[in-house]
Amino acid sequence: MSDLNNIPRADLFSMFFKRIAAVKAASDSPVKDLYSYPANRLARELHPECQHLKIKEIIPFSDDFKCFVFEADKELGTEKPAWFSAGQYLVIAVEIDGKVYCRPYSIASSPRDTLKGEIMIAVKRVDEGIVSGYLLDNLKAGDKVLTSAPLGDFTYEPLRDAKTVIGIAGGSGITPFRSFAKAIAEGDEDFNLILLYGSRTLKDAVFSDEINELAKENPKIKLVNVLSEEKKKGCEHGFIGKEIIEKYAPEGEAYSIFLCGPQAMYDFADKEIAQLGIRRKFVRHEVFGEYFHPEKNEDYTADISKTYNVTVRISGAEYTCACPADTSLLRAMEAAGIKAPSDCRSGRCGWCRSQLISGDVYIPQSVDGRRIADKEYGYIHPCCSFPLSDIVIDVPPAKG
Amino acid sequence: MERYDVVVVGAGNGGLVAGTAIAQAGFKTLILEKHNLPGGCSTSFVRGRFEFEPSLHELCDSSDNEGDMGMQSIFDRLGVKVPMLHEKNLLRAIVKGEGGYDVRLRAGYDEFLDSMEEAVPGCRESVKKYLDLMVLLNEAQDYMNNGVPNPATLMGKYGDFVRAASHSNDEIMAGFGIPEKAKNIIDTYWGYLGVPCDDLNALHYLSMIEAYIKKRPAMPYNRSHELALALVKAFQSYGGEIRYNSEVTEFLYNSAGAVIGVKAGGKEILARKVVSNIIPNNVFNMSDETKIPKSAVKLANARKLGLSFITAYLGLDASAQELGIEDYSVFICNSPDTRKQYEDRLNFGMYVVNCLNIALPGASEEGTSMLFFTLPMMPEDFPADLKAEDYKKYKNDYVRRYIEDYEKTLGINISDHIEEIAIATPVTFARYLSTPAGNIYAYSNGGWDNVVLRTVFDNIDKKIPNLSFCGGHGIRGDGFSSAYTTGAMTGEKVIAELRREM
Repeated sequence: MSDLNNIPRADLFSMFFKRIAAVKAASDSPVKDLYSYPANRLARELHPECQHLKIKEIIPFSDDFKCFVFEADKELGTEKPAWFSAGQYLVIAVEIDGKVYCRPYSIASSPRDTLKGEIMIAVKRVDEGIVSGYLLDNLKAGDKVLTSAPLGDFTYEPLRDAKTVIGIAGGSGITPFRSFAKAIAEGDEDFNLILLYGSRTLKDAVFSDEINELAKENPKIKLVNVLSEEKKKGCEHGFIGKEIIEKYAPEGEAYSIFLCGPQAMYDFADKEIAQLGIRRKFVRHEVFGEYFHPEKNEDYTADISKTYNVTVRISGAEYTCACPADTSLLRAMEAAGIKAPSDCRSGRCGWCRSQLISGDVYIPQSVDGRRIADKEYGYIHPCCSFPLSDIVIDVPPAKG
Repeated sequence: MERYDVVVVGAGNGGLVAGTAIAQAGFKTLILEKHNLPGGCSTSFVRGRFEFEPSLHELCDSSDNEGDMGMQSIFDRLGVKVPMLHEKNLLRAIVKGEGGYDVRLRAGYDEFLDSMEEAVPGCRESVKKYLDLMVLLNEAQDYMNNGVPNPATLMGKYGDFVRAASHSNDEIMAGFGIPEKAKNIIDTYWGYLGVPCDDLNALHYLSMIEAYIKKRPAMPYNRSHELALALVKAFQSYGGEIRYNSEVTEFLYNSAGAVIGVKAGGKEILARKVVSNIIPNNVFNMSDETKIPKSAVKLANARKLGLSFITAYLGLDASAQELGIEDYSVFICNSPDTRKQYEDRLNFGMYVVNCLNIALPGASEEGTSMLFFTLPMMPEDFPADLKAEDYKKYKNDYVRRYIEDYEKTLGINISDHIEEIAIATPVTFARYLSTPAGNIYAYSNGGWDNVVLRTVFDNIDKKIPNLSFCGGHGIRGDGFSSAYTTGAMTGEKVIAELRREM
């Protein structure tokens, strides 16, 4: 006798018939399209594979600093620039002498501007910068530009960050803060932004007037210009350090610090912030720029003057290029016209992740953003990997 | 034009196992993956000083009993080695409201029965009978795998197998006289299969929890990304080739309706056999519709999409001990009844919070810990009219409520310690996995689409020649070990077909 005797075995057959009947009754028209589901539609809208944009307007602040306002290139299939979270960046792909170069640029416009069909980046001329120079000197209204979807995690997260953010901006590092300020003014972000903006002179403080205009209308936004080479009324003088931060920080209340600027600013500000005794969770840096001069690190012991051969496999095809020891594998591939994927170029996003088939590389610890298992199984981020020998590498094809 | 013996579409758990088995058998195999990483759900991501586990709660069936299709024996046969840590505890279930309870269940056969007896005195014998039913169920499945079963034997000797195969878990537990509270406690894992226990097939549920209880849940040390990399390594060692950022956009057919290859990156790649790790719905959408058997389209249209989630990943700047977190898996419910939990799924009906540092001390730096919130949601629950500009607020508001509920329920503070946070929703899963409605469990395991009928009809339903499927949409349903199992079964089937045709 079984405990289950009262449970009918014949139900097995009725179960079969239920299935047969359900399938029989179903429609035989083609299955629903993937984008008939709201989640798939929204995913495509927020994270398009790429964005076909064209230049609507160029706003020159100087020969070395311009804003590029893009609009969607509907002919190529982009309906409007994707919505983003203030603080994110776009990767711009440009073809120069038959080679494709990709560079990340912080978005300066607000998320809500995308609803008007616009998105804006700011470009500052960088020494030896192939791409910034090309953009500043060659692009004109109407030109087509291929970009990534909005990317990056230098964003305000309400469940993580304090209600007040002290923004520390240097040079073109002001760009994402213009977006933050505008997003607050437009109601898409809800936090207090106290922006400490470091420039040499007030004339160099791009966007300063605009942000001040926003601050006039909105008590959540405050701008303090910190000038290193001139003294001006209403501005702080010097570099952004402990004293200035403390002067403007909210009293008796936790605050977050968001930093965006050149490495030299980080080096100075980080030492000052360390003296404030605030927790690590309240200090966030935007990655800004590529890694150069690996030889400056103590753990770099190889000969920096050497050049190595790199064999690159992409989807079964093979390419070769030379890579000097002081050059990242990504830059070497780019210079040789080999199309490799890249987004942040700072070791963090992992989009260039590739398999190291043979050879050795040097990866500076401070920019080694790889997963634990990737380290164990021989995967690298070419944007932050420098050759120590001849290399064979398997790289995913770039998209777009 | 490139030619392979086999092209596998999708490098998820099922696709990786199938591809590795086929390559190991000596066939020229190519795996095409849309994303730039292998694994599908089996992955990880880094934020600040944390590397998060995005999907795996725990591996079941990680024993190495000879001959069973458990994941460890699959990995062994493929030459894949991943160090894992087995857990002592199964879960803590906190049920609020009337008839509520707060119990911890321990892993291991005797330990489980002991913890059930502690929670519900007097339930031990009935629970033991229920668990021991698995012995007969295994025998019956072996019997059925060895030729055409004799109906009299099936209905007689294996009568209880027939009962378990055709009734819900709650009906079978009631048959054994398991007290209501004990039944509810045992039902806690229903979320892993996505169907409340009054509808969830007893054979399916019992197979799963028995695997957790007897073989103990296990976790890989370096997130499930390591499982995917270990499989890729084995696959490559057998001469297999894997390509990332290589989305298949079309399935190619000959005039007789057989699959002859795929199109990826604008190029046609020919194959004698194609294995799809992606859901049939997507395959059909990428195929000439006249080549798809009407019965297959009807089946896809008749099926219900399974569970999805909103998940939140929190990196905290305090250790689990400092915060007062004691358990790896905590299931928090607002009612003892799984049907009610399911119906209230958007309103604290049932959700799971995992603290990886309890299972894997050292999973993050000293003085830190990680929490993983799993909040179930059906595909139809995702707001159809949600605009891009409201999405960030939507997901943060959704998760904030659950963090608050968790803090209140456990009497601890985590809000002040969030150093990193990432929130995934069906939109995130749609982005990375391209599943319909961003669902995770493929097809619902409920009603007539249970694993028993999937298995039976797998041999009856009309198939597309040269095309096989594996993964969460397969005959074993969702879950890591189920996907590995269907991957292994599909691999064997394809190898046999290729050998027959040589």
